[in-house]
Amino acid sequence: MEEIMKQFVEYPSDPYTSIAKWKENHKKKVIGVFPMWIPEEIIHAAGMLPVVMWRSNEAITWGYKHVPPYNCPINKSVVDDVVKGKLKFMDGMVFLRQCLQSQEVPFIVENNRPPAFEEYLYLPPIYHGDKASKDFTRDEFEKLRKRLEEFGGEEITDEKLNESINIYNKNRSLLRKLYDLRKQKPGILRGRDVLRIVWSSMLMPKEEHNKLLESLLSELEKNGYEPTKGKKVFLSGCLCIHPQLELLDMIEDLGMVIVDDDIYVGYRYFANDAEITDDPIGALMERHFIKTPVDPARGEIEVNWGKELVGKVKKLHADGIITLLTKYCPPHLCYYPDIKVELADAGIPEVLIEVEHEIISLEGIKTRLQSFKEMIGGF
Amino acid sequence: MDVKYKINRLQTTNEIRPLVDKHWADLRTAKERGELVAWASGPSFIFAYAMGMKCHFMAGYAAYCGGIGAGEEVLKVAEMAGDLPETCSYHRLHMGMGEAVARGIPINPQAILPMPDLMVAGRLCPEMSHYAEGLHRRFGVRVLPIDLPGPYSMEDLPRIREFVYRQFKEVVIPTFEEVCGKPFDYDRMSEILRVLKEVAILRNKCWEFFKDKPSRWTLWDYGVSIAPVFYLMGNPAGVTYYEKLLRELQERREKGIPAIAPDGEKYRLYWDGWLPWAFLGKFMRKFIPNGAVVLCGRYPWEFFPHPELIDPEHPVESWADLYYGMESHLTYSFSPKGTINLIGELIKDYSLDGLIMFSSKTCRVMNLAQPEVMDVLDKKYGIPGVIVEGDMIDSAMISDAQIETRLQAIFEMIDSRRR
Repeated sequence: MEEIMKQFVEYPSDPYTSIAKWKENHKKKVIGVFPMWIPEEIIHAAGMLPVVMWRSNEAITWGYKHVPPYNCPINKSVVDDVVKGKLKFMDGMVFLRQCLQSQEVPFIVENNRPPAFEEYLYLPPIYHGDKASKDFTRDEFEKLRKRLEEFGGEEITDEKLNESINIYNKNRSLLRKLYDLRKQKPGILRGRDVLRIVWSSMLMPKEEHNKLLESLLSELEKNGYEPTKGKKVFLSGCLCIHPQLELLDMIEDLGMVIVDDDIYVGYRYFANDAEITDDPIGALMERHFIKTPVDPARGEIEVNWGKELVGKVKKLHADGIITLLTKYCPPHLCYYPDIKVELADAGIPEVLIEVEHEIISLEGIKTRLQSFKEMIGGF
Repeated sequence: MDVKYKINRLQTTNEIRPLVDKHWADLRTAKERGELVAWASGPSFIFAYAMGMKCHFMAGYAAYCGGIGAGEEVLKVAEMAGDLPETCSYHRLHMGMGEAVARGIPINPQAILPMPDLMVAGRLCPEMSHYAEGLHRRFGVRVLPIDLPGPYSMEDLPRIREFVYRQFKEVVIPTFEEVCGKPFDYDRMSEILRVLKEVAILRNKCWEFFKDKPSRWTLWDYGVSIAPVFYLMGNPAGVTYYEKLLRELQERREKGIPAIAPDGEKYRLYWDGWLPWAFLGKFMRKFIPNGAVVLCGRYPWEFFPHPELIDPEHPVESWADLYYGMESHLTYSFSPKGTINLIGELIKDYSLDGLIMFSSKTCRVMNLAQPEVMDVLDKKYGIPGVIVEGDMIDSAMISDAQIETRLQAIFEMIDSRRR
């Protein structure tokens, strides 16, 4: 068990070195993808390693020459890493127009340390069931396929795409299994471990990750489990970035246990599979338009994040929700007041914690979490 | 002896307020007359006007609230209802107005609008859709969100144009037909475009006077004159207004009257980002005593730099082309790459000395790349720039001391480069 966790932890502990080392050993190209909607399967089918760009491991310094401080952590972090040359092991980067801030990041990258390959996708955030949106999305994915073929010099056949989708589906299915296990046996793994397991999936080859997950699940099923007495909480939000491990530790050290989440480096990342069909690009396109888990960065009005959370919390018999709001994240900022009302109406306790690139004051967060713990019962 | 600079106010601009007031008054009372009401963001209000609906416009409403001094009280209601201060102030403004009405909180009655029969959320900026989604969640307003992607590269324009055009045809027009219970009025849309074309051609002639040295007017004068090419689109009063403005500017040229007395400006500046609607006077009072005049910017130039391309005979196609056509490409000029080209041209055409990059703390649609854009332009044209932080509406995001320090810095930079 310890040995397996050690392997999961390796990539998140130092993604820069781990990925560069993998590249050196495997002589393959590495492509960074901006969170949250880019179909990594197409890059994988090109024989390259897609890695999801992450919040960096040090304070932002040079980046502030290029980005105002009142912008979201992932943008500031990626720009800081790029201008410092920390991402030069990436052969390419794929960006997207996901929110109003992310659309300008590639310009800064291009202007400072452009990678050999750069692509920008316009993925529609709204779907009315119209053919225009479907056709446009399909074209975007086909464009990525064609550009990667030119860059890698290899054809990305439908067979290769289906193989990749299959490997990715398996990874998602295993991660969902892990999450189901956590729901059944809260506290079976520490929050920091679950986070690093999901995060490592974003950084390492899925084939290796699948093997590790299979071993882990088999170990967890064999091992004994001592039920926790902690208050059950659901983590929500934290779009695009991973929360600080210290924050997760604090939640648990205060006597709460995380039973489930919808954070990006969590359930949101592996929620939806793509179907295996004779039209794999079409399958990826269809997956893009799945409306749950509700994504505030999209303009979907038929679904409601607050109602979705109420349903999940009730089903889990959780005691409350901890909202992790990525600081300066417009989609979440615009949605949050309505979630708060929805939860209050349903009688579900909730607390808001803002997550920045760096934690500004752990003590301040601790006070809020302590009050929340008292609110949901228990001292 | 130090020169005492003073603004020479235009007379014609006094005539815009009654037009603007009438627009919002008509909208406020539309339901009483049994008229259908739409709210719109992005370039989508033209479809409502074509169907004879009264229509609000997101940024226009914010500018109006700022102009009548109602911004602060409405923002306070939004905060009370749970909105966080880093949220887009246009978003908060709309939420605050909705909440004030729903909870019976008294605010300036001129800021109160009837809830719409349809909100068209043109997602030129994603927040233009988020506020509509929020109003849908809170008040059950019917929303039609459409995607209007901002192009990253010029070569992306043709396929985005096709996507947007198809949304107009396949989603927007059928929805308006359903809401209004009648076929879409293409003839009325053509007529609106005919008027717009005439107004924008006149407006462009007025813009030529910014090129005069000294300039005959300021960007702030244009800021208050923006409605006829904006939400007063299709109103023939816009033609009359701009004809009169043009005559006044011509007269100024003939008589040698500058925008700034006694002898014209010392610094000619570019303004990036949104106009600070609620603080136009505040900024004016900081520029003028220093002999600085703001002449142009990418946002004010948005509506519509190439009116000659407007083709009223093909209204929907022309509307898509104005924003995404290879010739007009309004949206591309907004992207960082397009901005560099645009500002480069403006620097030459308007003999600019410096750039003011207005960085809104709550609207991040342009501010992320501003330091980069500034850097590229300084290297290419030797024109210095400064970032001035603030907001369009929210005074909590405005610091006088910060603004003054930054302006002093740009003036000193210009002076030192002149030496």
